[in-house]
Amino acid sequence: MSILNVRVAEIEQVTDVVKHFTLVEENGRPLPRFSGGSHVVVSMNINGRIHRNPYSLMGSPENTDSYHISVRRQEKSRGGSVFMHDGVKVGSELQITYPVNLFSLSKLGKKHILVAGGIGITPFMSQIADLNRLGDDYEMHYAFRSAEHGAFVEQLKQMCGDRLHLHIESEGQRINFQNLLSNQPLGTHIYVCGPEPMVNALLLTAKDLGWPKTHVHSEQFLAPPIGESFMVQLAKSNMEIEVPGDMSMLEAMEEAGLEPDFLCRGGACGRCEVEVLECDGALMHNDHYLSDAEKASGNKIMPCVSRARCQKLLLNI
Amino acid sequence: MQRGYWIRSKPLYDSLVWQTPAVAHLVIAGGEGGIAVLKLFQQMYPKDPIQVLYTDLATANKNYSDILQQIVPEELELCDSEESLLNNLEQRLKDCTMGTHFYVAGSEAFMWHVLQKTRAAGVQDVDVQKELCGTLARPVYCVHCKTITRDVHHNVFPCSNCGRHLFVRDHFSRRLGAYMGVMVDAEEPGNIPQIEEVYP
Ligand code: FES
Repeated sequence: MSILNVRVAEIEQVTDVVKHFTLVEENGRPLPRFSGGSHVVVSMNINGRIHRNPYSLMGSPENTDSYHISVRRQEKSRGGSVFMHDGVKVGSELQITYPVNLFSLSKLGKKHILVAGGIGITPFMSQIADLNRLGDDYEMHYAFRSAEHGAFVEQLKQMCGDRLHLHIESEGQRINFQNLLSNQPLGTHIYVCGPEPMVNALLLTAKDLGWPKTHVHSEQFLAPPIGESFMVQLAKSNMEIEVPGDMSMLEAMEEAGLEPDFLCRGGACGRCEVEVLECDGALMHNDHYLSDAEKASGNKIMPCVSRARCQKLLLNI
Repeated sequence: MQRGYWIRSKPLYDSLVWQTPAVAHLVIAGGEGGIAVLKLFQQMYPKDPIQVLYTDLATANKNYSDILQQIVPEELELCDSEESLLNNLEQRLKDCTMGTHFYVAGSEAFMWHVLQKTRAAGVQDVDVQKELCGTLARPVYCVHCKTITRDVHHNVFPCSNCGRHLFVRDHFSRRLGAYMGVMVDAEEPGNIPQIEEVYP
């Protein structure tokens, strides 16, 4: 996977838990262009171990001088976001992948409804820039816990004008998905990014109201869950490796010197899929990619987020 | 079609089945497509509002206006030509909201004319249920003079505009709603393979 070397040019504390990083190419060259909704995967060397976290690009896709990402500090996670907050300073060098878009705007859409919860606002910042440039019809619905948690509200007001609808939970404002999804004109597409219960509630409402799946887009990058350690045998590379409790299988394979494929590292895109040749226990599927039937059949696993509880697990990789 | 070989652009058609949940249903059929509408109404039908648009077609072997009028319990509009049906559809699409499901039945040429209208309203082709009825006749686009000839039954036929002998390919353009037709005797004028009726 191609890598870009970048330097942190600026860090802004946006709310008490969100920091915004401006990244520039290490030699000041222009960065690759991207489309609204793209993300990059940032590699971090934390005490000799490489962590890789996906972050959405927030800036305008027109701007190739710098990339913008925002990171919410997640205390109860495996350390990537805490490292970005505490370990990364102006001038720090980071490695990122080329941008990949798993959350792009539908070119066929007549109207776009964007729905963000909390830090889920980030992919929309670049999409809004695209929508403004194309002159497309859209609404931006942004829900957050309380006024202090509303990251980028001023910037959004400027970008969206009266297309922006804020829903501040502490003031009793919640998005009513039933109302939002009813009576929308044909050709409307809806996009959601935010905490899992919010995304799931929206997906369910859309289904109940007969929205075709092709018009409902969601982005949910899961952080790889922490679990018990287990052993995995890799048939093609003829290795047996341990997956520690705080590492994903994908990370354990990378640690062992392999270069498995990935795009999102969050169980969404399907790129990392591997065939399970043998498993004498239970696979713990944590992804959003495989269908329930595929999960039940136990022939495939997404090593970026899923784990196993077994004595023997043999993968075709 | 060769065994084990499939051109991805060749559309697949199914039998119409009510899609639920939904907020409304719009069924559009022409000519022999009437039978698919009758079959739909033999299924348990949803309680959401249903609209049916139908037209008899001169090219069809059998038309269904009379039967539909007796059978279809919901709002049925009978149009007197494909053109008026398409105009009527265009108007109705303006009032449709997300959650409306679409069903179309008839010949391939008819269905793809309907799909051009639904697509223009922002509905994706894959989200429209389609049932091919009556004939396998193909609309064919002449890649030389850019004319579409409707209802082609044979493997090779003379283009309705330029008269070239065209071979009918399986390659289908969704945008044009037609199969590609390519001059068959370009290399050796007059050398035309045996003409057979393959799309009865
Ligand atoms: S990398 Fe996307 S699902 Fe694993």
